[in-house]
Amino acid sequence: MVNVLERPPVREVAERPAAGRRGAARLTLPTLLALTAIVTIVPFAAMVVVAFAPPSGQTFPDALNPANFTLENFSKVLSSSDIPRWTVNSLLYSLVSVVCVLLFASMAGYAFAKKKFPGREVMFWVFIATLMVPFQATLIPSYILVSRLDWVDSYWGLIVPTLANSQAVFLMRQFISQLPDELFEAAQIDGAAEWRIFTMIVLPLVRPVLATLGIFVFLWHWNDFLWPLVIGQSGKMQTLTVGLATLQTQAVPINQVMAGATITVVPSLLVFGLLQRYLTDSIAMSGLKA
Amino acid sequence: MLVLFLLFRFLPVVGAVLLSLTDYRLSGKWTFIAADNYTRLLSDNLFHQALLVTLTYTVIFVPLTVLLSLGTAVLLHQVVWKRGFFRGVFFLPYVTSIVLAAVIWKWIYYAQDGLLNAVLGLVSIGPVDFLGQSRSVLPSIAVTSAWKGFGYSMLILLGGLQAVPKSYLEAAMIDGAGTWQRFRYVTLPQLRPVLFFVLVIETIGAFQVFDAMYVMTGGGPVRSSYSLVYFLYDSGFKYFDFGYASAIGLVLFLIVLIVSLVQRRLVGRDD
Repeated sequence: MVNVLERPPVREVAERPAAGRRGAARLTLPTLLALTAIVTIVPFAAMVVVAFAPPSGQTFPDALNPANFTLENFSKVLSSSDIPRWTVNSLLYSLVSVVCVLLFASMAGYAFAKKKFPGREVMFWVFIATLMVPFQATLIPSYILVSRLDWVDSYWGLIVPTLANSQAVFLMRQFISQLPDELFEAAQIDGAAEWRIFTMIVLPLVRPVLATLGIFVFLWHWNDFLWPLVIGQSGKMQTLTVGLATLQTQAVPINQVMAGATITVVPSLLVFGLLQRYLTDSIAMSGLKA
Repeated sequence: MLVLFLLFRFLPVVGAVLLSLTDYRLSGKWTFIAADNYTRLLSDNLFHQALLVTLTYTVIFVPLTVLLSLGTAVLLHQVVWKRGFFRGVFFLPYVTSIVLAAVIWKWIYYAQDGLLNAVLGLVSIGPVDFLGQSRSVLPSIAVTSAWKGFGYSMLILLGGLQAVPKSYLEAAMIDGAGTWQRFRYVTLPQLRPVLFFVLVIETIGAFQVFDAMYVMTGGGPVRSSYSLVYFLYDSGFKYFDFGYASAIGLVLFLIVLIVSLVQRRLVGRDD
């Protein structure tokens, strides 16, 4: 998170408040900003404090004393629940999906953007149309399909259907369309095979988009709830997000629930801390939505 | 790969339409019942309740989240001090899951030992059972979802604010327009398309609300936070009434479609 501090104050001169504004007003806005930021952070801070607080001392003055902090809640929740297994499931669900979605999306995006084949336009519009349908509307048929394949409660059922990510294909197609045709024609004239063009020209050029898209696909899957809830029916096949939801319905003490919650948020925070600027800039540009 | 997309993207869409015309049950047995699921929906009190809850939630959530994201975007735009840092802070909840947000806020809202009631207790208010009363449950959930998601819309709006030409604002200033007037008559009209975009995605998102309710209230108290998707989930995975659940899904799709089309109309007229 250090890098966020280094962002230079862009256009400071142009945005200086109007001449004649009073000193009080100059301070009001930053104060308001800081207050909003504190309110935004408080729930996270509370989660961490409760997670580390000793189970007996739930009242606030005691719980806030760092001298009393303990790892007891973490060790208890790790041993009494399936969190290690859920973490593995979540990692598999997220990482396998990132790799496959990126590969499929760049291949399909390339085909839609640069290859001429019969039915291309129709197929692309079918893609766009499936984007319009909310996931929940196709939840039941997707579930029936997975159960017909006998994939319920398995990694196949969890992961494979989510690899057909139309949004990712759409984004890659938009990006690859902007690349000059001459690049691909030149490679073709030089006798490069299709696979070679894809790996040597397309992939290196789309790398920045792939990085951003990869972050999003990771977050989509890591934070996903409804699909893993429906597919991972036994405790063993739940993901961390679903596991957390089950944890808090059982009679688990709040300190341990918060310890579990803290564990689930770590990977998201890592991704965020490492790539925050990248992520935020790209949303402003492309309107990508998790 | 094409098979993958046909099987898991296209087929479910077609399947949803076909299933909604059958009484497909868990056993896999089904008969064609035409529009019976839809007529059943029209007279189903649970459907009316779910629709009402979803609409009420949307009416609370959308203005709340749009004002919150617009407010923070304007603040960030005006205040140069540590902008990147604050932007990061506001975006932070967005990268977490709604389940996490729901778990934390459920505890914040607890009637006993909850953070909010502890704070309210200091000024001798409460305790208030935020999630236990049908009056306060939807606003409480809306606050949770807004907290979780406003960072995204904020970024979009911040991008929009930064795209407003400086010369327009300077011209208005020379003409003697104050801060509020410049915002109202220069910035806001320029921001309209972006604002509409945010409005639509937040509305569509609000109609799909489920996770937070599942975790925080289980749809209660007495189904006062029982949304359309919750109804769909229960019909499908509690009563295994797959045909009926598919019909609910299509109603949801229609609502989302109408919202998008209305938005296109409204924005299209302006351009």
